[in-house]
Amino acid sequence: MSARSPRRTAAMCALLVAATGLTACNGLTPGGGTKSAATSGPVSTALPTGNATLTVVSSENAGTTKALAEAFHAKHPNITVDFQYTGPDDYDKSLNLKLSSDNAPDLALLNKLGTTVKGNLVRDLDPYTRAYGWDTKYPSSQLDQWRASDDGKQLGTGHLWAAPAGFSVVGVYYNKEIAAKLGIGVPKTRAEFEAALAKAKAAGELPVQLGNLQGHSSFVVQSIVDSVDGAAKTGDWVNGKQGSTVDTRGGADAATTLSDWAKKGYLPEGANGTDLPGSVAAFTKGSGLFLFDGSWDAQVIDKAAPGKVGFLPFPGADAASKATGIGTSVAYAIPAKSKNPDLAAAFLDFMNTPEAAQIQFSTGFLPVAHADQVKAPANSVMNEVTAAWGKVNTDNGLVNFFANTDATMNDTLTSQGQQLIGGKTTPDAYLAALQADWLKGHQ
Amino acid sequence: MSTTTPSHRRDTTTRRAAGPAGDAPCGHRTQAPSGRSARTLRAGPGRPRSRRIAYLYLAPALALYTAFVVLPWLHTMWLSFFDWDGVTVGTGAGLANYREVLTDPALRSSIVHALGFIGFYSLLPIALGLLLAAVIGGRGGRRHPVSRTVLFLPQIIPLVAVGVTWKWMYSTDGIVNQALRAVGLGSITRAWLGDFTWAYVAVGLVGTWVMLGLCLIVFQAGIQKIDSSLYEAARLDGAGPVQEFFAVTLPGLRAEIGVALTITVISALASFDVVYVTTGGGPGDSTTVPGVLIYRLAFTNGEVGAACALAVVLSALIALIVLAISRITREKT
Repeated sequence: MSARSPRRTAAMCALLVAATGLTACNGLTPGGGTKSAATSGPVSTALPTGNATLTVVSSENAGTTKALAEAFHAKHPNITVDFQYTGPDDYDKSLNLKLSSDNAPDLALLNKLGTTVKGNLVRDLDPYTRAYGWDTKYPSSQLDQWRASDDGKQLGTGHLWAAPAGFSVVGVYYNKEIAAKLGIGVPKTRAEFEAALAKAKAAGELPVQLGNLQGHSSFVVQSIVDSVDGAAKTGDWVNGKQGSTVDTRGGADAATTLSDWAKKGYLPEGANGTDLPGSVAAFTKGSGLFLFDGSWDAQVIDKAAPGKVGFLPFPGADAASKATGIGTSVAYAIPAKSKNPDLAAAFLDFMNTPEAAQIQFSTGFLPVAHADQVKAPANSVMNEVTAAWGKVNTDNGLVNFFANTDATMNDTLTSQGQQLIGGKTTPDAYLAALQADWLKGHQ
Repeated sequence: MSTTTPSHRRDTTTRRAAGPAGDAPCGHRTQAPSGRSARTLRAGPGRPRSRRIAYLYLAPALALYTAFVVLPWLHTMWLSFFDWDGVTVGTGAGLANYREVLTDPALRSSIVHALGFIGFYSLLPIALGLLLAAVIGGRGGRRHPVSRTVLFLPQIIPLVAVGVTWKWMYSTDGIVNQALRAVGLGSITRAWLGDFTWAYVAVGLVGTWVMLGLCLIVFQAGIQKIDSSLYEAARLDGAGPVQEFFAVTLPGLRAEIGVALTITVISALASFDVVYVTTGGGPGDSTTVPGVLIYRLAFTNGEVGAACALAVVLSALIALIVLAISRITREKT
């Protein structure tokens, strides 16, 4: 009887161990069970003739992809597009699981490359790029954002992993009523911009509206870095090119400027406690001459303050300086485990048609191609956004978001930006913290 | 009557209990006196058959507990020894994750913040809860069902919704600042969640608001249980309401205070939802708590091993503190 007890305990332990999978060799190491599917083989641009379903997972909620899917179905009635939406936060968290499951979708939106390339979860799109000639249809700066080395650490070069389905660009919105009242023209140089801020402050208007609860002061910082250092140099840093640093002339200028603006009262008192939507709402109600924000808010701003708001790329040192803008695209990748990769590629190719361009534009994105053919209602700020977008593209001035450079940069920009505005850190320490995060992420 | 009934009942129980034991493997025992057989049964733990039955009864709960608590917990501990991004093949890291977690200054300050939250999540609600229970929930306590319900409401609202609501209330033009302006305190208004000094207090007070209702309900239930003769005696001795509270109510609620303290301390140390939704740990790092850091490590940074190590450290810390609380309350009672 006394012997039974230990035996049973041993049996229980064995059961426990077996159940945790600790005994199975491939279960010993986490992630050991994941196998990547073969992604080589010939590709075809022909569409299936029978009925087929294209599964798309996405966190894009502007309705763009859905509208594109309907248009694609109308064009090819035998193809049904199954669009599955998940909210942005949950989407990124569950994406890797979806991609590695046996029922992987045919197309998946990528908010960032993250670990998808390193984990062999997405297909190299180079064969399709050649088959469809995407490299001639898109500006290289647009496709380069979704290129990466095979370990996913160096961006901007290597194979193409996702194709764009619509762009956003960050610039400066300005309140036309306040500008007219104070006799301020559209600033064409950095000096004119600073003069406008001083004039607004003197007249009792808030110079720059800002919500920094989630770290959007990074838009101000990056706009200045981009324009002072130029898009190419800043782009290298964002893309993780070895030896890059943010502690440059532009970096120092940007951090000092943000800190000065806070000290001079150019920023709202409660910036650190206000989120981006909160600052947009305040701006449309007339609080703030300028607002650094992206094209995704153009429609909200249009609705709340129709005809009262303009948009410009952040001005450079002189009027002839090249325009820069912060921006990236919603992009779709073909999972390595997709069962219909050719069909998925055909849908990606559809994104660069004039028909798709109008759909992307009217749902709030800047089109991937044919930007000159899309139309917005007269008086809409979207027209100025499109003009700025055209200028940025002509000058090859598009730079991906600082926050996208590595996994932790968004948290660092938020925490450090709040401290800089709150006077709890210095411009030097701010830049050092950003660079330390960058080194950790790109080593 | 009153004496015979229980004894009858005891007899029946004994006989029923004797039945199965008597039918047990050795047949000749059926003849044994029922009293003795019952005694053997009571000494039961040593007997294989009754043990087996006991395990059978425990099995469903044990299986669920094992599947959803023990195994995930063991798995977490297992993962904490790996360097793993959640997708690709992990590599063994030994104790490196623990070294990283224990030497990181950001982590140390987050633990200090969590300990500080005990004041807002535990001490304040318990103090206020005792006061409210004595005032509105005293003897015969159904006098204020509406206020009790209102105070308990925060408990049934999902914490994420609580966070979103308070984020609005604390904003520059939110209701908190409106109220301050209305009473002539416009000079101290600010965006509370963006203020390096006040964001921590602001978030802490949300915890107080959530926990108060729970404490009140627990204490009110406890008061109903206190022998009313004690209150009568106190009153006869000329005690006022304050003396009555300290002499009768407070000692009588010792066990309930222990329960409330345990629950609220756990939620203070494991706090995540409210902080994540309102400030996300900011401004700067002034409101980071271990829960937020675990989430960031696992889901943003792709350092699942380090996240698990931090989770193990946090649960060990909570277990220690809860153990200490239960020891203290046991010594007192």
